[in-house]
Amino acid sequence: MMINKEIEIIDGLPLIYIKSMSAIACSDLHLGYEGVMADRGVFLPKANLKSIKESIKLAVDSVNPRSIIIDGDIKNEFSKVHLEEFNEFRELCVYLKEDLELENIILIKGNHDNFIERLKEPIGFKMYYQEGLISKMLFFHGEDKPMAKSGYTHMIMGHLHPSIALFNSVGIKEKLKCFLSGKTKRGKYILILPAMNYFAPGVDVNMEEDISGLAPIFRNMLDVDEMDAYCIGEGETLEFGKVGALRYQR
Amino acid sequence: MIDYYKVPFSKEESLESLNLFIRKWFESKYKDLTPPQRYSFRLIKEGKNMLITAPTGSGKTFSAFTGILSDLMNLSLNGSLKEKIYCIYVSPLRALNNDIYRNLTGPLEEIFKGISLPISKITVGIRTGDTPQKERHRQLTHPPNILVTTPESLAILINSPKFLENMKEVKYIVIDELHELANNKRGVHLSLSIERLAEAIGHDFIRIGMGATMSPLEEAAKFLVGYDGEDCRDCAIVDATWDKKMDFVTVCPVKDIINEKDEKIESSIYGMIDAIIKQNKTTLVFTNTRSGTERVVYNLIRRFKYAEDSIAAHHGSLSRETRLGVEELLKNGKIKCAVSSTSLELGIDIGTIDNVVQIGSPKSVARAVQRIGRSGHSFMDIARGEVIVTNRDDLVECSVMLDAAKKRHIDNFTTPKNAMDVLAQHIVGMSQTKKWGVDEAYALIRHAYPYNAFQKKDFLSLLEYLSGMYVGLESRRVYAKIWFDEKENAFGRRGKLTKLIYFLNLGTIPDEVAIDVVTKENKWIGSIQEEFLSKLKPGDIFALGGKTYSFEFSRVMKAIVSEAPGQVPTIPPWYSEQLPLTYELALEIGQFREKMAIATGHSVERNLSTLRKLNKGLLRPNKQASQILEAMPLDENAKNSIFNYFVEQILYAGYVPNDHMILVEKTVDEEGERNLIIFHSLFGRRINDALSRIVAIMIGDRYETDVAVNITDNGFVIITDTDVNISKAAISEIISGIGRENVRKLLMENIRRTEMMKRRFRYNAVRSFMILRNYMGRKISVRRQQVSSQFLLKAAEEIGSEFPVLKETYREIFEDVMDLPRSEMIISKIMSGEISYKIIETEVPSPFSHLMITFGEADVVMMKDRRAHLRQLHRQVLSKMRSRIK
Repeated sequence: MMINKEIEIIDGLPLIYIKSMSAIACSDLHLGYEGVMADRGVFLPKANLKSIKESIKLAVDSVNPRSIIIDGDIKNEFSKVHLEEFNEFRELCVYLKEDLELENIILIKGNHDNFIERLKEPIGFKMYYQEGLISKMLFFHGEDKPMAKSGYTHMIMGHLHPSIALFNSVGIKEKLKCFLSGKTKRGKYILILPAMNYFAPGVDVNMEEDISGLAPIFRNMLDVDEMDAYCIGEGETLEFGKVGALRYQR
Repeated sequence: MIDYYKVPFSKEESLESLNLFIRKWFESKYKDLTPPQRYSFRLIKEGKNMLITAPTGSGKTFSAFTGILSDLMNLSLNGSLKEKIYCIYVSPLRALNNDIYRNLTGPLEEIFKGISLPISKITVGIRTGDTPQKERHRQLTHPPNILVTTPESLAILINSPKFLENMKEVKYIVIDELHELANNKRGVHLSLSIERLAEAIGHDFIRIGMGATMSPLEEAAKFLVGYDGEDCRDCAIVDATWDKKMDFVTVCPVKDIINEKDEKIESSIYGMIDAIIKQNKTTLVFTNTRSGTERVVYNLIRRFKYAEDSIAAHHGSLSRETRLGVEELLKNGKIKCAVSSTSLELGIDIGTIDNVVQIGSPKSVARAVQRIGRSGHSFMDIARGEVIVTNRDDLVECSVMLDAAKKRHIDNFTTPKNAMDVLAQHIVGMSQTKKWGVDEAYALIRHAYPYNAFQKKDFLSLLEYLSGMYVGLESRRVYAKIWFDEKENAFGRRGKLTKLIYFLNLGTIPDEVAIDVVTKENKWIGSIQEEFLSKLKPGDIFALGGKTYSFEFSRVMKAIVSEAPGQVPTIPPWYSEQLPLTYELALEIGQFREKMAIATGHSVERNLSTLRKLNKGLLRPNKQASQILEAMPLDENAKNSIFNYFVEQILYAGYVPNDHMILVEKTVDEEGERNLIIFHSLFGRRINDALSRIVAIMIGDRYETDVAVNITDNGFVIITDTDVNISKAAISEIISGIGRENVRKLLMENIRRTEMMKRRFRYNAVRSFMILRNYMGRKISVRRQQVSSQFLLKAAEEIGSEFPVLKETYREIFEDVMDLPRSEMIISKIMSGEISYKIIETEVPSPFSHLMITFGEADVVMMKDRRAHLRQLHRQVLSKMRSRIK
């Protein structure tokens, strides 16, 4: 589904395709999640890396890009590199380069991505700290406001893990991961990517009163209610319109 | 062999089986033996396993302990009483343990006061989660002869090699309040601990069980004694339940419970309780929920200006100090009234209660009998109780319940069998103590009654799970909780952390986060589960404690609501606060309905005068109906209200459903927004749980739609969007189509599409040590476990359907939550015509269905095709948005 002239949401997947760059982009992988959770006493079956690989493969098969951009939070742990994160990150990079034959891996370093530099040489990827301006598009993770003030036409953000809560007529609640697309108060286009992570439940942006604590860009630059939600359905993307209209008021 | 003992031994036969000092003490204290004691003194002397059921206050405790003390006294006199534990007493309640401890230390002092011989005294110790470190240490070096403990503490003790040394001489295990254990996973957990203890000390012991009445008693006995190889161990059964006389009545708070306003009913209920409290010295009031307990106390104080210290609440959410305080006040007769949910139902010593008031149905005959049995000065006195009903279905239910109690029809319990989560905990525990051969361990767990038929392949799959085989080799280091070598066919300890995991996480009570429900003015209304809160959107109407509220918003651990009197809930609760009605009682209610319908039908005339009287609740039972009602323990209001209720249903719907006729009512809800198909299938919630989902699955598949269900004891409601129009002919086709389905398979394949599955899976993941509540000294709250139930379940399913946590979730749903065997039986009766059904169409729901719509446990069955489900959702949301813009 094309959401504007430049960006296409690959149907049913948490990834976008930017044709002019021959790149796909996604965010918030949180590799090593199960290992980190196991350290906290939650012994999850391994599912995250596998599902990430599957999603990326589907995207690559569908649009045949040359590059992949990962918009932050590639791994999960804040403070240290967990062995599982290290292993999974390497495994993913090898998969992207060798199996999927992607030429470039571009990483935006997010708040969870300390020490990832160590792997830069052996694996070979390009890395930006917090934000990267890539042919007129500003990729930034989102735990801080972007620093670059100009030189771009589009902003692409991660970090928020947006989702929408929906209730149907018989009372079923569904929580769907979504893209948020809209314009900042200054009229600049912005797209927020959903989390790739398998287990992350997501933040229901149509239920929360205030999300500026989670992503400072909402403090005065952006109104979530004015953004359009594109939810990830089963093999397709579902357009739901403005978040503000999806709020449940009595 | 399980033997019933029906003829008591004589007083002399009983007393002469006691040690002389004990006999002297006993005779100085008591004039006579209570009925259970006339069996037990002798049977203990004979070294028999024994199950005693008797009401509270029947000297049950001393039926067991007199014989045991007598035996220990003999040891002491011949100089062979060592500093070892000879008797372990286990009860599900710490408060009860404290009582027992006091009730033993006092008499022991008295006994030894009169003995000047230089012999060792019999000692008692208590071991629960509350026992201070110092005392624990003392018990290790100087173990008491009698140890009073809880199932959880026992499970910890058997894992301590040092403490096990102290238990080498154990000769008696006494399990108190067996009825509170034999029907749930907590009891299942205990049954394994006991068998593990017998194995660890290398010899068996005498097992004595005590409790309120249960049915079937043989099942309870088997649970108590377990198996030795293929054979059940011997057990003597003594049933002294009915030796205490009881006097009880169903009370209807207003003349016309059908038409009367809720506020009036409520104030009348409180007025009645107030009158009862004033007439008696001490009154015990039972509600069915903790929030109900708080409400009653609050209202009594507010309405009748009772001093705050003359009435008190007692329930599990209160602090230990508060509860102990209330028990103390009761014992000293310093309080007029205590209000409790379940906690005072058990045998805690609370002194003398003159009268018991039960508000609303306790859902089982056995429970009603036990609660009312709490009153009366002694075994010889008559227990008195009133059951005050809160609504019309409650009225019919309680009336039949007390009638059944009068006839001594006790409902059945079942023990959960082959629970893999509980066994997982024990395997982790066992692995800590030594290296086990797989066959040796498997043989041991089969001694426990709930595992006697446990499959070897399931045992192996548990070992695989616990040794971390569900993740790759490189992660097993973190995941594995035991060492397991398939080739060697053995398992044992692995890792240093596992010992702590076992100690800190064992137990079977699910961790739930309670969210306070308050009004904007911060008036406390009750609590709901966090999970339910997550389903609410602003404006949703839900019922809590018999009233309806509109959800406004949530704050940290609080849900803010406004009162919405008389509004129909838009979202029924996703869980029930109450226990399910038992099947046996459900059938009796069905039979009563049939009798009443026939009797009522004789004189119902469809004319204006009938309607006028009916609207005021002024009809009086006709001759035939009177005959039925007079024979039951009911007050006048109750008799009249029941009659009016039946007349109303007959006039409105033309049919009264019963135990062999299911009324199916096609109708719409009050707002006309949803289609309802109401199944009046009064078989209890455990059966309706299964039936409702089967019907919902079939409708969902046939119409390609999401279906919501609302489940109650009296039946269930199928809720669909108004676009989905299901004709009477189609309903009939669907019902007859059930006969062609393999019901178990249908549910197995589709239960995945329900919310219940996700919730239950999480509980089982916690009990199976897949999600720890406490790890490396850190307590992890449910909230912080951070993983969505949906994805957790999905990830587990990728491992395969034999994954133990998943398998146990299915087992628990089909066997514990639902009653699948009986549901299948009901279905085959419907197919054979033994149970008929009648489909009618009504403009608004008929009288018998009103409460089914308001108060039920809800679930949804989502469309099989997730893509179609999401598309339908998409369509609905967009059309709602469009209409809002217009």
